[in-house]
Formats: sequence, structure tokens, C-alpha cells
Amino acid sequence: MAALELLGGGFLAAFQLWSFLTIVTGLLIGVVAGALPGISFVNAMAMALPFTYVMEPTQSMLFLGGIYVGGVFGGSISAILINVPGTPASLPATWDGYPMTKRGEAKRALTIAVTASATGGLVSALVLAFLSAPFATFALKFSQPEFFAATLLGLVSVIAIAKDQPIVTMVSLLMGIVVGTVGIDPLYGQARFSFGVPEMESGIRFVVVMIGLFAIGEVVDLLATNRDLRPKKSGGKAIGASFRDILNVKGAIARGTGIGCLIGMIPGAGATPGAVIAYGIEKQVSSRGDAFGTGVEEALAAPEAAKNATTGAAMIPLLTLGIPGSAATAIMLAAMMLHGVSPGPLLFIMDPTMVYTIFAAMIIANVLMIGAGIGVAQMFAFLMRTPPAILAAFIIVLSVVGAYGVRNNIFDVYVCLAFGVVGWAMKRIGFPSAPLVLGVILGPLAERYFLTSMANAHQDWTVFFTRPISATIMGLAMIFVLWSLAPGIMRMARNLRR
Amino acid sequence: MPSAPLPDDTGTARKAGGHPPSGLIRHLPSLVPVVLLVLALTLPGQMFQSDQRPSSIGLGPAFWPDAMLWGLAVFSALWIGRDIWALGRAGRRPTLSLPREDGPYDYRKALVGLVMIVAYGWLLPTLGFAVSTAVFIAIWCLFGGLRNLAVVVPVTLIGTLALLWLFMGLALMPLPRGVGMFDTFSIWLLRATGIY
Repeated sequence: MAALELLGGGFLAAFQLWSFLTIVTGLLIGVVAGALPGISFVNAMAMALPFTYVMEPTQSMLFLGGIYVGGVFGGSISAILINVPGTPASLPATWDGYPMTKRGEAKRALTIAVTASATGGLVSALVLAFLSAPFATFALKFSQPEFFAATLLGLVSVIAIAKDQPIVTMVSLLMGIVVGTVGIDPLYGQARFSFGVPEMESGIRFVVVMIGLFAIGEVVDLLATNRDLRPKKSGGKAIGASFRDILNVKGAIARGTGIGCLIGMIPGAGATPGAVIAYGIEKQVSSRGDAFGTGVEEALAAPEAAKNATTGAAMIPLLTLGIPGSAATAIMLAAMMLHGVSPGPLLFIMDPTMVYTIFAAMIIANVLMIGAGIGVAQMFAFLMRTPPAILAAFIIVLSVVGAYGVRNNIFDVYVCLAFGVVGWAMKRIGFPSAPLVLGVILGPLAERYFLTSMANAHQDWTVFFTRPISATIMGLAMIFVLWSLAPGIMRMARNLRR
Repeated sequence: MPSAPLPDDTGTARKAGGHPPSGLIRHLPSLVPVVLLVLALTLPGQMFQSDQRPSSIGLGPAFWPDAMLWGLAVFSALWIGRDIWALGRAGRRPTLSLPREDGPYDYRKALVGLVMIVAYGWLLPTLGFAVSTAVFIAIWCLFGGLRNLAVVVPVTLIGTLALLWLFMGLALMPLPRGVGMFDTFSIWLLRATGIY
């Protein structure tokens, strides 16, 4: 009952005029940014970060939460209408959404997609609202070894998701952790890797790394490919979706939502694997599995529901443990830290109003998304006429301001630009940058928890395996590693035998 | 079931088809693990300033970075080993390579774009936010193929003023004003627009 009362209070706060307008603005920005190929919702959130400096902590979270929810769906608009996924998570929408557009069923495809996305997001937001508090109560039992184990699970689950290239992903992750060690160490107060540069002693902020890696590479690619963002086909929107169409895909939506909620809770997973795995499972389950790829409604609905179902679920580890599960939630963590708010189990005791206002905002944003998604889809052709050169120029300026605003320091701009160049090169050769970012974020946390655990246990490393919760999480981490490495090892063994 | 791509929201999905870049540049990605291995082996010696002695209490401040660099060295070596094994077998590709493009990818344009972005950041403290941003937006738009001055000039001026008002006026961010005459100009502009 307490949770319901707090959620009611959260709704009251979220429905205050300014809060509500903030959610709507964030949602619209997210849908538009997600719909524009070349600007993912993560880029939009990184660019929006400097705007949150003038906001109250709760308002900044409502703004970023709106962008997150809207952006995850927005990518499907361009995927369905012009076969260009606005975000990687919308890739499955091109497989069956675009064939529907070619059949003259664009409006029907968009309605199914937005309904599935909103349903997935709404259920996920409810899961967030009702599971977070019990999870946070449980997390209060955590001490340093448990936090280290949870952080380690977050780190290794990145490798588990990247089944195709575990070695490269591991290298990227370790690079990020090494970058995170620059500056004064958390226990001994000694500067590391400062190379005589005083600014290096205060460390490299993950926000700066993230803005550089995510925004600059995209913009340079936009310039180099001379990509035309204008829709080439805008016709064929006559046939809309009926209520029966939605009822016909209810099973697919339910399965997609369940998968998305589960995958979203895994640190490091996010919307893309959620959507792709939901598509794969739906193909196995559906009686029309063989026809997938030709414009099957279930094949569109399941990944759409899954990718938005990851949004609320991904915030559970962020709010209860302070561990961001994806690049998007990492930006939300950055916004919280910039406002002096530390997410974790204590946040539920110290500031429950803020937490439940965020929950209410996520629910509201998902309900409003149906209108916003269809509205933006109608405006899409107009938006896509903005010359890419103008879009790109402003993305760079906002990225630079965002990096500068972290500490009002020009050194952070130089670091951001350096990582921008590195990010572009990584993107060119297919070297994943997301593990590097998570390494920069989680590395310092892991180091602090590890060193303090070891100091408290008189340098006895078995402390991580003798405490029940810590040992369970460590076991899960090991299962993740084995699960990720087993197919690669088996494949290599098969190749060696040949 | 399709294999799950990397959890990378930045859009690193590889493109298929088209023609890859030719020559030595194609083999550059194979050097990445070699460079990383060398860095992982040399960086431990550069961890502290020469006048600094790391604390010897407990595990010490070098333990964690040393462990991570050791891990980086091991995985880089594995990567090199995997690439050598792949190159020794016909029809196999190294772990990373430059992608085949759907359409033309203009590396010259990309490099000029990167230089422009770095120059913008580099000149920001000297020219100040207003001047450097206006110059950057105008040059970027022209270089990006937008040749209509009736669009470029208003976008540059209105865009720069809007950003100035938003960040220096509303968010009170102390963005760089520049040095010398650029500082004087920035102060004049900020007063003229009512921000100061």
C-alpha cells in the first residue's frame, strides 16, 4: 500500500504543469531524435545533458526519461517508413515493418508498432514502480563485497551479450577500465597516469568520454556518406490498424514485453539485444515463422514491445544499486550525479518523492507516446528535410558545450574531442565502443568496492565467496562468462579439428 | 534465430556490400591489438610521476590498474593470435576490418570533418564561444554541401545567438569569451544581447 501511496504522490508531482511539460518536451525530442537516422536517442540524451544543468534534479530526470522512452520508439518510424532504422534497436522493424509499408500498410504498421512499444514500456514502467522498492530494501543488505560482485556482474554481462566477439569486447571493456583509473586513486589518494598534466589528476569523467564516443563519430559519418535523410517513399499510408489487428498480436506483445523486461534488467544489455532476441523467439513460437521478413504483424509487434520494455527495467539496477545497465541509463546517472544525487538503495529512503515521480513519469511518458509517435510519424517527412549539415553542426556544438559544462573546464573539451576521434575510428572498424564506456563508468566503482572489501577483510580474497549474496552474484557472473565464451570455444575447437 | 549484435547503441552495425578501401589502409585494424599490447606492457612504468613513491600499505594504488593492464595484455595477445590464425587460413578474415559500404564513404571528407571539429574545440578558448561557434557552423554547413548563403547566414547567426542566450544567459555557464580583441568583442556581444 505504501508503494501505491508513494506512486500516487509521484503522479501528483509529475502532473504539475512544469513537470508534465518537461515530460512531453523530452518525449517529443526523443521521438524526433530517434526517428532521424544518424542521431540515436543516446546521442540526443548526451546532447540534452547540458540543458539539465538549469533544471531541478527531478525535472532533469523527467526530461531525460522522456527522451529515453520516446527515443527508443522513435527509431522505428524511419525503419518502417523508409527502411532506415533510426536507432540500432529498430533494426527488426525494417525486416517486417518496411514490407508492410511497401504493401501500402504504413499507417497500420506504425499503429501496431506504437501500440506494442507503448504496452511494453508501460508494463516495464509498472515493473519498475513495484519491484524497485523491494529490490532496494534487499539491496540495503549489501556491503562492499556485494556491491563489488554486482558491479562485476554488470561488467561481465557486457561480454555475455556480445557473443560474436568476446575477445574484442573484453579488450574494449578493459580499455575503459584503464581509462577510469586515470587520476587520484580512491583509497590511497595518489595520482595515476597524470603524465605531469595537472588536469589529469582529477580524472577523466565518463560523461565526457561518452559524448565524444557517441556523438562525434555519428556526425562525421553523416558528413562522409553524404546521407540524404529525406524520405523517398511517403505514399501508402491509407490502411490503418483496427482493434482486431492489435488483438491478433497480443501474444507477440506479451512475449516481447516479458523478454524485454528480463533483458532490460541485465546490466549492459539494453534495447538492441532485447529487440533482436524477441524477434528470434517470436519466429520460433509463431505459426507464421517461415513468413517472417515479408511483413508479418507479430514479427513487428514482438521486438517493438521488447525494446520499450527494456526502458523501465534498465532503470532498476540504476536506481537501486547505482549501476547503469546501458549507455542511456549511464547518461541518467551522469545527470543525477551532476545534481549531487547518488542513486542506490538509500535514495529510496532519503528522497522517495523523487524516485516515485520518476516512476510516474515513465508511466505517463509511455501512455503519451502513442499520440506522440503517431504525430511525429505524420510530421516525419517535414523533419527529414532539415539539411544534415545543419543538424550535424549543432550536434557538435551541443556536444562541446556538454563536455565543457561537466566542470566548466576546457580540458574536458579536449578529452571529449580526443575520444571523438577514437570513437570514429572504432566505429569505422567495428570495434564496439559501448563496453569501453561501461568500463569507464563501472571500473572506478569496481576498484573502490574491491579495495575496500579487501582492506576490511585483511586482504582475504575469499570474502567475495564466503558471504551468501556476494557468492551468489559472483556465481551468476561466472555463468555469464561461461555462457558467453562456450560457443566461441566450441566453434574454435571445431575449426581446429578440421 | 538471428545472432544478437553487440549492445552498442551508437549504431556500429556493420554495413554489407559495396567496395572496401584498398591498399595498406585495409590492414590498419590488424595493428590495433599490437598497439594495445605494447601500451599494456609499457603503461605500468608510466603510472606514477618520477618523484612519487606508491604507497605500500595493503594492495597499493598500482594493484588495480596493473591487474587491468595485465588483462588487457592477455586479451590483446589472444586477439593477435586469433588474427594470425585467421590470416593463415584462406577465406578467413581478421577480427576487425574496414567495412564494405552501401554507398561511397569519403575518407578525405571524414578526416577534414574531424580536423574541423578538433580545431573548433582547440580554438574555443582563444576565439571565444560566440566567434568560434559562428565560424564553425558556417564552415561546416558550406563544407557539408549547403551552399545557399540565404540559409547558411541566418542559421549561423540565429543559431549562435540562441545557444549564447541558452547557455550563458539562462544556464549561466561561463563559456570561454576568448582572449584580446575576441574577449572585447564577446563582452560587447553579450551586453548587446542583454545577457550581461
